[in-house]
This record gives sequence, structure tokens and C-alpha cells, in this order.
Amino acid sequence: MTDPVSANTAATSLQPRVVRLQIRERLFSTLEGAFNEEVFFLILCVFIGIFSGLAVVCFRLAIDWTHLALLGPLPQTHSWRLFAVPSLAGLLVAILVLHIFPGIRGSGVNQTKAALYIFNGFIPFRTAVGKFICAGIAIGAGQSLGPEDPSLQIGASIASALGRQLQISREKLRLMAPVGAAAGLAAAFNAPISAVLFVIEEVIGRWSAGILGSVVLSAVSSVVIVRFFLGSEPLFRIPVTTFKRPSELIAYAVLGIAGGVASVAFAKSIGYFRPRLKALPRWTQYFQPAIAGLLIGLVAFLGAPQVMGAGYDSMDQAMHGQFAWKFLAILAVLKILVTTASFVSGTPGGMFAPTLFIGAMLGGAVGDVERIFFPHLTGSTGTYVLVGMGVLFAGFLRVPMTSVFMVLEVSGNYEIIVPVIVANTFSYVVSRSLQPIPIFDLLTRQDGLILPSLEEEREEAILRVEDAMLPVPKTILNGQDYVDASARRVQDSTDSVFLVRMHPTSWNVISREQLQRLFREGKGELTLASVLPAQPLPSLYPDLPLDSALRYVNAYPLVPVVNRADSRRLEGVISRDSVFKEYGAPAKHD
Amino acid sequence: MSWTLPKLVPRSAPVVLLILTLGASIGFAGVRHLVTRYNANQQARGRKLYAKGITAAEAARYDDAIDAFRAALTCDPTNSQYQLSLARALRDSGDPRRLDEAESYLIALWQRTPQDAAVNLALARVAAHRGSVEDATRYYHNAMYGVWNADADSSRNKARIELIEFLLGKNARAQADSELIALAASLPANPAAHLQAAQLFTQAQDYAGALSQHEAVLRIDPTNAAAMAGAGDAAYRSGNYTLAQRYLRAAVNANPEDESSRRLLASTDLVLGSNPFQSHISDVERNRRITAAFDQAEQRLTECARQTEVDLSSNSSSAGSTLATLQSHWSAVKPDLKQLRSPAETDLPDAIMDVVFQIERQTAASCGPPQGLDLALLLISERREAVSQ
Repeated sequence: MTDPVSANTAATSLQPRVVRLQIRERLFSTLEGAFNEEVFFLILCVFIGIFSGLAVVCFRLAIDWTHLALLGPLPQTHSWRLFAVPSLAGLLVAILVLHIFPGIRGSGVNQTKAALYIFNGFIPFRTAVGKFICAGIAIGAGQSLGPEDPSLQIGASIASALGRQLQISREKLRLMAPVGAAAGLAAAFNAPISAVLFVIEEVIGRWSAGILGSVVLSAVSSVVIVRFFLGSEPLFRIPVTTFKRPSELIAYAVLGIAGGVASVAFAKSIGYFRPRLKALPRWTQYFQPAIAGLLIGLVAFLGAPQVMGAGYDSMDQAMHGQFAWKFLAILAVLKILVTTASFVSGTPGGMFAPTLFIGAMLGGAVGDVERIFFPHLTGSTGTYVLVGMGVLFAGFLRVPMTSVFMVLEVSGNYEIIVPVIVANTFSYVVSRSLQPIPIFDLLTRQDGLILPSLEEEREEAILRVEDAMLPVPKTILNGQDYVDASARRVQDSTDSVFLVRMHPTSWNVISREQLQRLFREGKGELTLASVLPAQPLPSLYPDLPLDSALRYVNAYPLVPVVNRADSRRLEGVISRDSVFKEYGAPAKHD
Repeated sequence: MSWTLPKLVPRSAPVVLLILTLGASIGFAGVRHLVTRYNANQQARGRKLYAKGITAAEAARYDDAIDAFRAALTCDPTNSQYQLSLARALRDSGDPRRLDEAESYLIALWQRTPQDAAVNLALARVAAHRGSVEDATRYYHNAMYGVWNADADSSRNKARIELIEFLLGKNARAQADSELIALAASLPANPAAHLQAAQLFTQAQDYAGALSQHEAVLRIDPTNAAAMAGAGDAAYRSGNYTLAQRYLRAAVNANPEDESSRRLLASTDLVLGSNPFQSHISDVERNRRITAAFDQAEQRLTECARQTEVDLSSNSSSAGSTLATLQSHWSAVKPDLKQLRSPAETDLPDAIMDVVFQIERQTAASCGPPQGLDLALLLISERREAVSQ
């Protein structure tokens, strides 16, 4: 028999432990409840940013280490290494790509888009590993490619892998890749705004608070990580940039036109050579990156080592007027040549940095030439170099918003916003008119994929409700009218369906047959409001996309279109026939 | 919307986040270790390259120095010392196109440490290369009042001296004068510093200031021959011939091979021995000096006319007419020489000497700098004019 005193003591000693357990459970369940999917996803985005940032830090170290180990701190011209290193690295990378990482060929942007639109957010983690190793070797060895695209894809791969592991919903999983892409790109560029804009402008193609929030969180957290480890130094030392006279915008417009033409030349050369080189026998693919490396080595050996690698140091020097305009122009042309060679040979790496390089050199050259003819121009070489970067970004990558913000974010100077906008607009328009298919879409099509062209969507003329709108009907019935009076009133009308104004701002619809039937059923003494459904018709506004009318025109024979400022005012009506007619389809009749 | 909890990790959001935090922490620590090791290696490599660059810069091989510093910066991109050295090498390379790059490095450094005197001094020198008085003055002042790592007072004075030299080179005399005053007030008791300051005062044509600096040297080191010569020169240029004679005589005694001081002393002796307005001389001596000066002026006029092929009796050209006019003045005054002894003629010495001075000034302008007694008379004339003004 248990001693009541000892039992009482045991119960007393157990009591605090039970209370502690209860508190812990309550706390846990409260925490659990706080994490709905949206909150969890946003927190996950921060982790994606952190992991992507860490990966990009390692990636950049890998590139730097490879470069230092293979080429030394500053490659000197007329050195045997200039030939040997990119060629041998090309050979090694080709073997790795063909045998171990076959999925890493091509643009990371397109693979991220494919993950979003086709593969439900799936990007193999192997791709991240492959991009890391192969792009690290290639860029470090001097192949003319940049680290941004691989960084973007590394971020996307990490995010995708994490999403799969956590088995989040399909809708969120699709978004994981772009979120990771933004983190990777932001870390590579050290520019979160540009990365967010690029991913939204080029990959996702739509804005919503949820998407924007998740992309921003991942981009910002990755940039914080990169700045913690690698410092917050900008990519370039920005010189004093000036814009004094509005008349100088003409000079920047000329730069925009030149940039547009250069963008087209660059895009066309890639578009022309890439499928042809891919079509060559498989054994040649072992040597294609090596031959590209040899070409780069030759260019470097002959006096232009600046074209090797991403070329940020050379851009920095160009920004500070280190090169004469002739050399700048030569560098721009050579960079187009060697980057085309590197990219079409299947060497993994991105085109962001080469695009900036070509733009910078072209901008500097055009600016210097313009100043020879017009010495009163006040823009420094550095200003033209900066604007030139944006110009190629707008013309070649076809991301007009990102191109503007990229220059602003890199330069931290809002004084040049007007020249940047003007030049980028010219470049974009020229490039679009000469090369209708943007480079990313071109590459996608060459790879046999049909991804949505976000530029086409952006530029497409949207059909609006007003385009399909019919004039206000001559006969409009009133909800307070009697059925018999209404039936008499519509006798002379040729219409078969009539709008009924129930209240000043609500509408309904009734057909001639319906009216006649009600009359025959002896309901002539009733008002229309009493016989029609209480649920009013939906109203549309003239500026709404016509797509938004589609959901109503099948359910209702007529839909009123009202004025936004005064919803009592009827602007017109739309019917299924008028909508279909606007879409170019033959009218269907029930 | 399907919300499926993870399968491979515990089915609880807080636990998932805990695991992610742990993973991020491990990744963070790993990357930190990697970055630290990488940076250490890079810094070691950077130091070697930097040393190479310094050697090249000291040998004025600026292209090599620039390459080495650039390479050092690729290893350690945020190293202020490397950036500063690269900026200096770019600035000193003599290529004006490199000034922009030098300036941008320095501006970046300045934005980080605006109080750093070395950075401000380097920026001041870039501005001086560009010839911008305003920017150079601002940065030199920043440097003077900035933080120096070592030997602050001496460095500040050096910066001020550099600014004064720049301002004098730019003919900004007023600004140079104010800097000189500040410099004089801050100099240490060091003969070399005072001598350098005296030289700057001389360049600025502030001979009183120069004299004061030389005298400061002599107070510290009374046997300093350079200071004696300098003081004599300054006193001579400022028209204080009695003092000049004393210092120059001491300078020649201290260093008999000082030809410059000897020449100045001879000139000073002549000035003091031929000045009729000198106090404490007898009337006889004064009259003798006036007569000698009058005769000397006539000789100088005749010689100058011969040299410039001017006929003193005709009025053919403007230069000739001036010399001829002076000749006529001289001839007009000559009879008055006999009146010199008369106590009633108190204004006569001035009138005679005015003619002499006019002749000396005009001949100096027409026939070049005079020598001997003519030089002495010209100096007396200038001194007298300065006093009267």
C-alpha cells in the first residue's frame, strides 16, 4: 500500500514538470500555427538567399583562385600561358560537359524559365554542381564568359532542390527556381534591385505582392551574405559622371543607336553559329571549347588580354579613360568575336558580363569620337562607358527596365538617369526592329523548347472591352415597368434581348421570349424587378482587358459597360458575338 | 491549395526552420573558414607584389609599379595602402589620362576616411597636376589638419610648403602670403626649416619675411653663412643697405668664396658710399656725392645714346627724344651745381638728383641693367621712390 504522504510528495514534485511540458507544447503549437504556407514560403526565400549567397561566394572564390593559379594576377601579353590555359581548360570542360554534366549547356536564364513553365520548378541539383565546376574552370581560365548566368542557375538549382526536399505545393515549387535565380544573380552582381527586376521582367513576367516579396527577400539576403564575405565594394570605381545640357541627349541617342546595332550583330552571330556548331559531329564538341580558348589566347597574345574572362577590371579602366577610342572600339569588336566563340562552343558561362564589357567599350569609343567632333560635350568617358553598359543590356538582353536600374545601381548616380533612359530606348527600339526575336527566345527555340516570350507578351497589343463594345441599345427597360407595358414597348424593336435598369447602378437582362412568356402566364401586372432574379448583372469598364469579359459573355447575352467615374452612365454593351468578332473568331449562335 | 509537409525532414515548420538555420550556420562557418584562408593567401601574395611595386616606384619605373600595384589590388582589392600607392604611381606616371583613374581611387579612399592626411595630400597633388587652385588648396588644407600616422608636425609643414610652392607657381600671391604667415608661425627651431621658409618668402618677394627667417636661423646658429648671405640678400632687396652691408660683410668673412654675396656687398658699399641723402654726412661730402652722381649720369646718358645710336641733339624718335630731353634737362641743371654750396638753395640737391634718377631709370629701360655706380644710383632712386610712396 502506498504511503499517502510519499504519494502526495511525488505528486507535488511531478507538478512543475507537467506544467513545463504543457507550456512547451502550447508554445510549440502556437509556433506551428503561426507558420501558414505563405509565411513559411517567405521565410524559406530568406534561406534560399542565404544558401545561394554562400554558394556564389564560393563560386567567385573558385573563379578567382583558378584565374590566379592558371594565369597569374595580371596576364601579360606574349606569354605562352595565354594560349595554353584557355585551350586546355576548354578541353577539360568539354569532357566534363559531355560525360558528367550534360545538362549544363545553354543559358541558365532559359533553364530557369523552363523549370517555371515546363518542369514544375524542377532543376537538377547536378546542374548547380556542374555549373559551379565547369564555369569556374572556364571563366577562371580566361574563356570570354561571365559568372552571373551560372550564379543565377546555381541559385535556381539550390532553391529547386530545397523546394523538392520540403515538398511544398506545386505552385510554390514552380516559383522556387526564379526566387533562387534572383538570389544568385543579385549575389553575382552585388545589385539586388537589378536582379529582382531581371527575374520579374525576363523569367516570371508578372507582378504580384507575393512574387515580389519572395524574390526581394531572397535577393536581399543573398546580397547581405556576399557583402559580409566579400565586402560591399561596388563592381566598379565610378568616376565623376556629369550631364549638364539637354542637347547632349542627341549624343547619347547616337550611342543608343550604335549599341542597338552592336546588340544585333552580337545576337545574330550567336544565333548563326550556335546551331551550326551543335550540328557538327559529336567528337568535334570535345574540341570546340578548346578552339574557342585558342582564339581567345591568340587575341590576348596579340595585345588584348582584356578580352579574357569577365573583364570587370578592364571595364573599370575604360571607365577611367585608360584606353584610346580606337582601342576601345577594337576591344568591343573582339569581345563580340571571342564571346560568340566561347558561348557557341558550349562552354558553360554567362553573357551578362561580356554584354556589359562590349557596351562599356562601345560607349567609351562612341563618346570619345563624339567629343572629337563636338568638343563642347561635357560627358566624361566614364559617363559614356556607364551609359554604354546599359545600352547593350537593353539591346542584347532586351530587358529595358533592368538595364536602366542596373546602371543606376552600379553607378549610384541618378544624374545620368536621363541619358541612360534615352540611350537604352534607342538601343531597344533599334535592336527590336532589326532582330525581332530576343536572344533568350532564340536560344530556347534552337534548343527545341517553346517558352513564353515575355517580350512578346509585353509588347503585344492588348484587346480591351472598349474594342468589342456595342453602342448603347435604343431600348432600355426599367425595373419598375410592368411586364405588359414592357412587352408592348419592345414589339417594334428588332433586338431580341433588352437591358433592364434595376437601380441607377445595377442592371439585368431579359429576352423578348421571356417577356412574352411572362405576359402569357398572366404576369403582366407585375413589375420587371419582381420577376427577374435578384442577382444583378456584372458590369464592365471600357479599359478592362477583353479577356476579363470572356467569363461573363457565355453566362449573359448582354453585359453592360459603364463609366468608371459615373457608374450610372452606360457606355455601351458587349455580347458574345461582339467579343468573338474582336478575337477574329466566327460568331457562334446557340 | 495543397500544403504537404516535408517527408524527409520532421513534419513541423518550426523544426524545418531550425534545421535550415543549423544548415545555414554550418554553411556560413564553412564559407567563412574558406574565405579567411583564401584572403590570407591573397594578402600574402598582395604584399609581395606591393613590395615589388614600391621598388619600381622608387626607381621611377611607374609602368612596372602600376602593373605591380594593380596585381596587388587583385589579391587584396580593399587594401587602402595599395590603392593609395597605385593612385600615386598613376599620378606620377606623367600620363594625363591616368589622372582620372588616380583620382577615382583617391576619392573612394577619401570617402572612406576623409580625415586621412595622406589621402588628402595625394588628392591635393592630383588637383595640383590638374592646375585647380581651389581643389588643391582644399585638399592641402585637409591634409594639414588631417590625421598623420607619424611625424605629424613636420608632415603638416611639408604639406604647407608644397601648397605655397604650388600657389607661387600659379601666381596666387595673396593666398601664398597667408600660407607663408601661417608657416612662419608653426616652424620648429630648426635652421633648415627656417632657411626653406626664407626661400619661399623670397620667391613670394616678401623680403622682410625672408630677412626675419634668416635672422631666426642666426639666432639659433650665429655662424650660419648661408643665413648671413640670405639675410644680406633680403636686406639688400628690401632696400635696407646698412643692414645688408653688415650681413653681407659677415657672409663674405664667413665664406670668402661666396661670390654672390661679395658682388652684393660691393653694390651695397657703392649705394651707401654714393647716397647723398644719407644721414650723418657732412655738406661737403653730400655735395661731392651729388657732383659725382651728376657726372656719372651724364656719362651713362652719353654711353646709352651711343649704344642705341641716338643723336642727343636731335628729336628723331620717341626713345631718342626722351634721351635728348633728359640731356637737355641735365644741361639745364648743370649750371646750378655751382649753387650747391649756398645754404639758401635747400631744394637744389633734390632737383639735381631728380635729373640723375630720371637719367638712370630711362637708361636702364633703354640700354639694359646698369652696373657699378649707375646701379647704385638706380637703387638709391628706387629706394627713395619707395620711401616717398
